[in-house]
Amino acid sequence: MSCSCHGHVDPLVPKIAVIEHIRKDTPDVTTFRVVNPAGGKSFTSLPGQCAMISVPPIGEAMFSITSSPTEENFLELSIKKCGIVTEYLHGLEVGSEIGIRGPYGNNFPVNDELKGKDLLFIAGGIGLAPLRSVINYIMDKRDDYGKVDIVYGARTPDDLVHKEDIFNNWPNRLATNVFLTVDRECEGWDGHVGFVPQYIKELGLDTNKVVLICGPPIMIKFVLQGLEEIGFKKEQIYTTFELRMKCGVGKCGRCNIGDKYVCKDGPVFRLDEIQRLPDEY
Amino acid sequence: MKVLKKEKFPQIWQAINQAYELYLPIEKDDRVNFAQWTEGETVNLEALKTEISPKDVIFPQSETYLKFESDGKKLQLESVESENREYVLFGVRSCDAVSFNLIDNVFLREPIDRLYEKRRNKGTIVSLACSEPEENCFCSSFQIKPEEASPGVDVAAWDLGDKILWKPVTEKGQVLTQKFAQLMEDASQQDQEELIKLQNAIKEKVKELPLASVDPKVIKGELKEIFESKVWDELSQSCLGCGACTYICPTCHCYDIQDFAGGNCGERFRCWDSCMFSEFTLMAHGNPRTTQKQRFRQRFMHKLVYYPNNHGSYACVGCGRCIEKCPVNMNIVKVIKRLGGEG
Amino acid sequence: MEKIANKVRETARLALANGEVNKILGWKKGDFWYDSYPAFITEEEGTASLIWDSFCVANLSKYLIEQLKEDIKVGVFLKGCDARAFNQLLKDNRVDRDKVVIYGLPCPGMIDPEKVKKAGLAKGLLDVQKSEDEVVFITKEGEQKFSAREFAYDKCLTCQYPNPVVYDELLAEEVERNNTTEYFYQDVEEIEKMSPDERFAYWVEQFSKCIRCNACRNVCPACSCEKCIFDNSKANVAGKAKVDSEEQFFHIVRAYHVAGRCVDCGECSRVCPVGIPLAKLNRKIIKDITEFYGEHNAGVNPSLDAPLETFKLEDIDPFETRAKGGK
Repeated sequence: MSCSCHGHVDPLVPKIAVIEHIRKDTPDVTTFRVVNPAGGKSFTSLPGQCAMISVPPIGEAMFSITSSPTEENFLELSIKKCGIVTEYLHGLEVGSEIGIRGPYGNNFPVNDELKGKDLLFIAGGIGLAPLRSVINYIMDKRDDYGKVDIVYGARTPDDLVHKEDIFNNWPNRLATNVFLTVDRECEGWDGHVGFVPQYIKELGLDTNKVVLICGPPIMIKFVLQGLEEIGFKKEQIYTTFELRMKCGVGKCGRCNIGDKYVCKDGPVFRLDEIQRLPDEY
Repeated sequence: MKVLKKEKFPQIWQAINQAYELYLPIEKDDRVNFAQWTEGETVNLEALKTEISPKDVIFPQSETYLKFESDGKKLQLESVESENREYVLFGVRSCDAVSFNLIDNVFLREPIDRLYEKRRNKGTIVSLACSEPEENCFCSSFQIKPEEASPGVDVAAWDLGDKILWKPVTEKGQVLTQKFAQLMEDASQQDQEELIKLQNAIKEKVKELPLASVDPKVIKGELKEIFESKVWDELSQSCLGCGACTYICPTCHCYDIQDFAGGNCGERFRCWDSCMFSEFTLMAHGNPRTTQKQRFRQRFMHKLVYYPNNHGSYACVGCGRCIEKCPVNMNIVKVIKRLGGEG
Repeated sequence: MEKIANKVRETARLALANGEVNKILGWKKGDFWYDSYPAFITEEEGTASLIWDSFCVANLSKYLIEQLKEDIKVGVFLKGCDARAFNQLLKDNRVDRDKVVIYGLPCPGMIDPEKVKKAGLAKGLLDVQKSEDEVVFITKEGEQKFSAREFAYDKCLTCQYPNPVVYDELLAEEVERNNTTEYFYQDVEEIEKMSPDERFAYWVEQFSKCIRCNACRNVCPACSCEKCIFDNSKANVAGKAKVDSEEQFFHIVRAYHVAGRCVDCGECSRVCPVGIPLAKLNRKIIKDITEFYGEHNAGVNPSLDAPLETFKLEDIDPFETRAKGGK
């Protein structure tokens, strides 16, 4: 069957994974925990890498892995309902089988440029998903990194994902601050109100840190502007991209931005690398 | 070096076909294309280039690689192994032979595309030098030498009138030659001399071609500079947004993956796709290339800038098919010249 | 044609100079004798490169859909078939007549480079000139004269509307109204004579050549949907697999979608890179429509109701009229 029986597995052939746990984060975001049918992780990965999820006959789609590589027993994917594959996935139950292949792409440089540094995570909406794999990785190797600031915003409090982490787990860790914001005033919300880019400026953060960003393109655009105004350099800023990906292995030719393939050379890019590329994302 | 008399062609086709699948330029309805040979087909080795490049033989337009069955909960996946035998692809021109190497650069780099690799390994490629290059040929712009055996071919052949000169260049080529040696003779001193004459004649003809002076190196500057050139607005206006250029092109290799299902089970296949099509980059939440200008630019940037950045050579072999087939006569030569500042 | 070409350049230059239009759609010459290609000109100086010769086959009217998205006035050169295409686009509400100035070009018929090539005359060819019924091939070695009909596109041999049916200015004298000698439905009747099985086999074989490049669709003036069903992966009706069923599905759906709107420009056959005689399929439908509802030539008079868009009680029932059976 799924051809792990011989050495020459084609990279396009998925293997089976079972949905072990489903958590509804928001009205349109669900976090799926998947494992091998015989138990255990489908594959090992690095923070920021992606997995191609298959739901025949609907098709395939690429998602960032939201669980930390330090999580030994399963992979987690937080998936927003926005297309035909995600719609189908949202209809699945615990015990359903899907296809999975990966890991794909590069990763945030947790063992190089990030090590020993103060870190600033900036996320909007579902954009927290890829960053969560990094944050949890760092939390598990807390001594290797400096101070951690997490700025996370969503349209409404209901749209905040990974609530357990942002409200309970992370704020209670050493030298870790979580700053939450929502777009508009809302009953029952006594936290900060406003857009992420503005909040960043208000927080008056020092610039001696590495920044990791993920969120909707418009948020990223304004955050980058804001960061440069505060005095951050391009070499300090990392983000992660999502484009149409089919093969995941740098061959099918559709996720390129200039001469870079997001699925292979990305999805993580440093801002100075991005600025060398055409504005086509 | 061997010699194969043309009168022996029917015999050798039959003989090769016993041991291999045999692909040849075959004429049908006045048009010549590579196809699997069967008894009775009209082989045309005179036509310089086939309408569509032979890339279909190494990279089929559609290829099923997975079967699935799902009841909504349980999923079964089975990879589909290709059933192809070893094959001989006979009569490949230098430009097309080089295009195979360009596709190899992408499909055979890590992680290796196993479907492609398997198919590629099963092939023995026999090239045929271009005795009569055509007006729209410009392979010399990419340092391709149509008078020589192109890198990667297993046997090189030259047309000497009533016979072809046959030179095995790889081990696979040796094996093929040995298998059918009884149909060939050893090349004589005179044959060798004729070959040199022919090669010199081809070289002269190539120099005289109207597009001989086309030089992609006129495209200078940083990636972003070329990307932002005003020339794209002007060039792309006439593009109809069809994929004719892409599909006849020997170097275009982008593909799509689709599922086909009936009831609970189905197949997953990959198939050629074109960056010229509007939904090529469409995602659930948007499309980074919404205009034909962006799509047009992508195709030529890929061939002339992106691919060279990644692999060290241009992704064009100057076969001239796009010059012949574009419904509105827009083609890579016009793009190179214009980007180089001409016109 | 060179005299008219001068007029083309002058007309374009004046139109841009006096601000009558902001942009001119015409043709330019490229590297080869057959290489006449669409030109989009906004500056007066640019008009000097415009041409009018026997290879200006590309129909410029469909470009208007995209061009008119900008708020500009466009001057366009249209031949007979192009003008019918324009009228059809008008009828389909895809262009705004008020934003277009049409310069009509009576068309003496275009030369098919493939026929030249097949005749073995393409080698070393520098230029091709046409005058009246003669065509002159010019090489380094000298000139050769032939009858122009030998090298005309098949579609031009049966053309019934060489003169533009709509224009603001006509740039030359009309050519003879009926320059056809071939019988218009000859190719259709050849198909009709086949048995249903033969006919089915014929089309299966033709469609199996299809490489799904969409050139026929994209060049077609009757195919002007904002989003084609074949580009809409969400619609889940079309796949890109190179299999007979998908190819047949594509071409049959397309033929029926342009039924009654096809202006018989023959561009689908011309641009098909693998030589599928697509116009034959459309012409069969034109013939059927003519037999069922009387003659209707799409794009000739846009104010007339199209037979498939209207219903009259006395309309015949094709299913009753035609024998059933076969594939």
